[in-house]
Amino acid sequence: MAGNNADEVEGSAGADNKSNSVAEVPPEFLIKHPLQNTWSLWFYDNDRTKSWEENQIELTTFDTVEDFWRLYHHIKLPSELRQGHDYAVFKQGIRPMWEDDANKMGGRWLISLEKKQRNSDLDRFWLDVVLLLIGENFEHAEEICGAVVNIRAKIDKIGVWTADTSKQQANLEIGRKLKEQLGIHGKIGFQLHRDTMVKHSSATKNLYTV
Amino acid sequence: MSASPIARQATHSQAIPSRKVLITDPDQMPDVYSSTPGGTIYSTTPGGTRIVYERSFMMSLRESPISKTPPNCSLPAAMLKNPSVAQQKPSKPVQKPRSNSISFDESQETFSMDL
Repeated sequence: MAGNNADEVEGSAGADNKSNSVAEVPPEFLIKHPLQNTWSLWFYDNDRTKSWEENQIELTTFDTVEDFWRLYHHIKLPSELRQGHDYAVFKQGIRPMWEDDANKMGGRWLISLEKKQRNSDLDRFWLDVVLLLIGENFEHAEEICGAVVNIRAKIDKIGVWTADTSKQQANLEIGRKLKEQLGIHGKIGFQLHRDTMVKHSSATKNLYTV
Repeated sequence: MSASPIARQATHSQAIPSRKVLITDPDQMPDVYSSTPGGTIYSTTPGGTRIVYERSFMMSLRESPISKTPPNCSLPAAMLKNPSVAQQKPSKPVQKPRSNSISFDESQETFSMDL
């Protein structure tokens, strides 16, 4: 590379000329962009003949930006799913369940969406949450386990799951960033999984709010 | 911050992503001399090894030709945008040639070759 200055100059001059033509493929389109982590896409099927755990299906994994988009383009938006269905995107090896070792000590930032927000905000929030995760946009990205979107009759929910509720600073940073990036005006709360386990989620107290 | 090596040649230089690690006590220093606080034993700078993409950059890749190709995994119909298109993938004519080769006449001499 170092000795190829002449080539580089020629190459960049050529690129400048070509950028005027519409047919030119941008160099970023020719390669796949690796992600820091490999992520699993999960789908909750809500088949009543199966147990909750059996309904959680790990469909596939992706580890590049492009492979994420390939999936995204071909699957339904959250607002198009049936009630009772979930999507989850988790770091590979972590199941979207409280009982998983990676989640046991953790909690979630919970974004509740009223029914009227299903058309206006749900899909945009979900995409932005997933991009924040896979693009490693949180300062404490190592605390992130994954995210879930629940399509429900009354309140749709998006949860961002973190690993360790005792890490207050990390969890607050994640919550603030989430709120800021999504442009949420109201408050969002952080709940411990072990509290959500014993109470109905709407009654679960918040450990923090931002 | 998020461009690939190829793009860096074509665009302007960009800031190296970094992360501030606040040290308040000597105990928080790594016990390995080659490591920086928050870094690893492999002499990385804090946060320096993490691959970070901003939303706008990932959005710019959304319509790239690679991003538009169908995923190479089978997905349940309940979550597919367009089930009829995706259903074409799991067609399995793979078994067929095998059954043909089984009907090969075994009474023939196995190693007869015309040279």
